[in-house]
Amino acid sequence: MWGRFPLLATALGLVLAGCAGVPGAPKPGDPGDPDEATNREIFSTNQVLDRMFLGRTARAYNATVPGFVRDRIHDLIVNLDLPDTFANDVLQGEPKRAAQTLSRLAVNAIIGLGGLFDPATRFDMPFHDEDFGQTLAVWGMSRDPYVVLPVLGPSSPRDTIGLLVDVGADPLNFIHFKQHLWWQAGREYMKVLDLRARNIRTLDDIERNSVDYYASMRSLYRQHRDSEVRNGKEEVEKLPDF
Amino acid sequence: MSRITSALGFLGLAVVLLFAAPAANAASPAESFVQTNIDKGLQILNGRSGSSAQRTAQFQSFLESLTDIGRIAKFTLGNARRGASDADVASFNAAFKSYAQAVYQSRLSAYTNQTLKVTGSTERAPGDIIVKTTLVDPSQSGQQPLEVDFRVLTDGARMVVVDVSIAGVWLAIEERDQFQAFLAQHNNSIPALVAHLNQLTAQLRQKIQ
Repeated sequence: MWGRFPLLATALGLVLAGCAGVPGAPKPGDPGDPDEATNREIFSTNQVLDRMFLGRTARAYNATVPGFVRDRIHDLIVNLDLPDTFANDVLQGEPKRAAQTLSRLAVNAIIGLGGLFDPATRFDMPFHDEDFGQTLAVWGMSRDPYVVLPVLGPSSPRDTIGLLVDVGADPLNFIHFKQHLWWQAGREYMKVLDLRARNIRTLDDIERNSVDYYASMRSLYRQHRDSEVRNGKEEVEKLPDF
Repeated sequence: MSRITSALGFLGLAVVLLFAAPAANAASPAESFVQTNIDKGLQILNGRSGSSAQRTAQFQSFLESLTDIGRIAKFTLGNARRGASDADVASFNAAFKSYAQAVYQSRLSAYTNQTLKVTGSTERAPGDIIVKTTLVDPSQSGQQPLEVDFRVLTDGARMVVVDVSIAGVWLAIEERDQFQAFLAQHNNSIPALVAHLNQLTAQLRQKIQ
């Protein structure tokens, strides 16, 4: 249990270092991608890996596993992340959203058979996702620079630190049972597989229709993350003029 | 990876906006405009009369009346239009128009059964309104609705859609980012961008037929 704390301490140290050097607002039209050449190389390698492994596995997963089973796996994955969302709601000083998350967790755990179903959505209990990268943004850490991580894809120093903290601080890490590390590894893999499988057609379309697939992914990632940080609220005054 | 795939999942549905069914009474003129025109688009897409080519032409005409493609093209070209020749800008506008229409058409079949509900609007500036809607996929029961925004500009007495956002991703901004990146990689050559757009459009048209 205590063996994981150095990772957390290192991550938090990086966070503090990052917060100390928060740059100003990005300039309009600046992609915030100073290492674009390197990022493009990593992106290309990731695409090859995706075609060889993840994309192929995701297609097989969709073709062989019934939709009902895939939905139960998806709901379980999403529900297992709710404690992380709750913790980040609290860290961001959002008590109302934290209460919503806690309610969803209780309803889906009890009525949803341990998280295999999502009755909370049917009861009009809105879902939202939070992570430590968003918390860092709320605390003032810049989103720049854009980076592409090997295998993991689009990110930023802020979101990379956030990911490390989210994985390291996951409550399930601290419940030790037989072969729990394998369980955790399997869970992380299923998260990626689930999202890839649910978005196969969309990703194919975007890749086929894009003028510059790398730039498209970069724009999508940054716009979507900005929106997540704002909890979906549009800052209309910051939209560009037409 | 997981974050970007979720973002992409939302984006892929963005083209639904012009084809989904509205389900609420709109309040403001901009809201009514969005609702009425989406309804019109659906009627064209779900129509059974006429040939496929006729419906395609009808839909293209509808898109032209709903959006200001010229203004969107100008926006997506960004700073590159400064110093560009009139001929280059004109050829880009034509290529962009065909490309945009082909992209929308190529995805129609998958998204015609969605339902869209107008939920309100915000005025960004006089004549510049964001109409908020939610999108529901009936085939995904229990799924959270997606938040979809239309940016509507008043051009004199006429209203036009200039951008669409789904889950916080604005499509025209995303296209502008792509075009700027492409130009940066190709010595700021607008003819190279036009050629690439034409090539993509041809591929998409081939897929549609």
